[in-house]
Amino acid sequence: MSIPTLQGLQTALSGLLAEQQAIDTTGHNIANANTPGYSRETAVLQTNQPLVIAAMSPMTGEGGQLGTGVGVATFTRIRNIYLDAQYRAQNAALGAASTQAEELQQAQGAFNEPSSTGISSQLSAFWGAWSELANSPTSEAAKEGVVSAGKSLASSFNQLSTQLQAISTQAGQHYAALTGPTGEVQDYANQIAQLNHQIKLAEQAGQQPNDMLDRRDELLDKLSSLAQVSVEKQPDGTDTVNFGDAAKPLVSGSTVEWPQTLTAAAGGQLGALLSLTGPAGALASYQAALNGVAAALASSVNALHTSTPFFSGASAATLAVAVAPGQVQTSSTADPGGNDVAQKIAALRGGAADQGYAALVEQVGSDVRGAQDEQTNAQTMTTAIENQRQSVSGVSMDEEMTNLISFQRGYEASARTMTAMDGMLETLIEHTGSVGL
Amino acid sequence: MTNRITTEMITGSMLNDINSSQAAMDRSQAELSSGKTILQASDNPYGASRAIALQSQLDGLGSYANNVQDGISWENTAGGALSNINDVVQRVRELLVQASSGIDNQGDLNNIATEVDQLTETVKQDANTQYAGQYIFSGTLTETPPYQPGATDAYQGDAGTVTRAIGPGSSVTVSTDISSLLGSGQGSGDGKLLDVLRTISEHLRGGTTEDKNALSSTDLKGIDANVATLTQLQAGAGAVDAQLQSAASRIEDLQNTTTQILSNTQDAELAKTSINYSNQQAAYDAALRAGANIVQMSLLEFLH
Repeated sequence: MSIPTLQGLQTALSGLLAEQQAIDTTGHNIANANTPGYSRETAVLQTNQPLVIAAMSPMTGEGGQLGTGVGVATFTRIRNIYLDAQYRAQNAALGAASTQAEELQQAQGAFNEPSSTGISSQLSAFWGAWSELANSPTSEAAKEGVVSAGKSLASSFNQLSTQLQAISTQAGQHYAALTGPTGEVQDYANQIAQLNHQIKLAEQAGQQPNDMLDRRDELLDKLSSLAQVSVEKQPDGTDTVNFGDAAKPLVSGSTVEWPQTLTAAAGGQLGALLSLTGPAGALASYQAALNGVAAALASSVNALHTSTPFFSGASAATLAVAVAPGQVQTSSTADPGGNDVAQKIAALRGGAADQGYAALVEQVGSDVRGAQDEQTNAQTMTTAIENQRQSVSGVSMDEEMTNLISFQRGYEASARTMTAMDGMLETLIEHTGSVGL
Repeated sequence: MTNRITTEMITGSMLNDINSSQAAMDRSQAELSSGKTILQASDNPYGASRAIALQSQLDGLGSYANNVQDGISWENTAGGALSNINDVVQRVRELLVQASSGIDNQGDLNNIATEVDQLTETVKQDANTQYAGQYIFSGTLTETPPYQPGATDAYQGDAGTVTRAIGPGSSVTVSTDISSLLGSGQGSGDGKLLDVLRTISEHLRGGTTEDKNALSSTDLKGIDANVATLTQLQAGAGAVDAQLQSAASRIEDLQNTTTQILSNTQDAELAKTSINYSNQQAAYDAALRAGANIVQMSLLEFLH
């Protein structure tokens, strides 16, 4: 049994083609080194079907298999789906912590403490004005001072209350924008559904749609910042995407089920927005505590200012000075020189209102700090997992260069084999049988 | 197998490190330019609430210091008036001694009586002394002069007291009850200064032997009794003044201590922060240099 004459050329050609495809893949990797969500690919080389030669050995007459070169079995993308799941879980935590920190920092900014313009300074100035009045109980200027200090204090309460309300309203609007018909959730879900459809078709045709898979994973990564995402891989290549605590899958095959109801347990940015703006959320609790301080201030001052209530309104939004300078009461008697009421009100400094407000500032401060710490931790965790993912899937230039050299040398060697074959054939065709000619 | 290190990992972690050194530098810069370590409540939540309480306490001490200074001025004004009254009383006593030691000429006695009448008016004027627009001897009727000029000697004020708060739950009475010295004149027959002065003037003009005898006996006793009362009032005013002075120095000590604590709570230690800042600058510089080298480096550099 003999070997086909041109078999050697075919073997060398398979080497040339395979090395070329490997070089192309390397080129694709290098080109996408900085593409977000890209996973490096490798051309998986495999030996070709061997040539079976019966009774090959002239000694024993036994048959054998002759290698016929190499081919690319498949182009695989290198990716670890377990790291993807971990990354998305951490990314949801990061989205929640960042949103929480951002909104709470806004609230902290509204308080603007400690400063010389915040409510604490206004309160202090208000008590100081009463002390001044106690020294000059008949002075119109001192009474005017008390009323104007009271008015700016009340208006600071009003403003802070309005600002807290506005932060809550804006957070609600942010949630509505993200989840609305033109929002990110709908957009990502539509794209994922479309990719599901295309991936299914490609896989049915026996292709490996690596770049579409990368794009779908990238979209899932982005979606995971909005709420917790869990993915069920289907046999037909599609992903079923569960989103937050929504009752039905967000994407199933090529269908999208949105809008759905989420709660604070959804995690991610959306969960954080719902938890902040909810009735038991941080913003509502600040508003309630601020109302408590305003009520304590109004009731403690009014209890001493018995002629007519000094403050009207018992919430931060409605607190106002209810008296004109002429109505300011300095004494419990009609004597112009009496100052017992003014002294008692001045002595309210450091009382329930001051303590309540300082405690509220401390609460806001520690909430912000907690949220910032959480954000830092989540960021660290996300970065660590992203690094692991990159370590698996990312493109390393050094590695690609090394591969490039090895594939290039392989290509050159295959070409040399082909030259050798060519030389052999030349000998056979040109010089054989010409003995004695 | 070791972990693969990819290009994106290197640039990503380099960017992270540079960002965090820059953030640290930014923080130190903010502390240096504001001079405070607590820029926002979240920097130190407990410290922020403590700083708020301490600042209010400090403002409160400022108010008490104002009250004390106001009280001291009030007391000085009152002390001046009482001292003027004392001068008048001493002069009247001199005149009384002079008149009861053998001046027989009724004309001279009448002249002395006229001077006593004038001195009586001076006493009432001193009693009507004002501080910052308030009559200081009218009790709490600070808009009413305690005595009307002229014949009527009735006390117009009340028995109320004017106080100044000098600390939490502690206050000082700064008003002096002038009616315990001056009384309400002859009509009341209370034997107090105005009553005695009016009686002396009457006795000087009376001319009878009983009148002259009264000058050296009951009238002199009356004056002496009132001198004793006046001395008591002056001593009282002096004691209040001393109390206020000691309160002033106590408040100043407290202000210093509280300012110190507040500063420890919220102020940046400039030396420490400056050193930190220099270190951070060096670190940032190094991160930039290293980054510039590492990012450029790759196998590409060495292949031709």
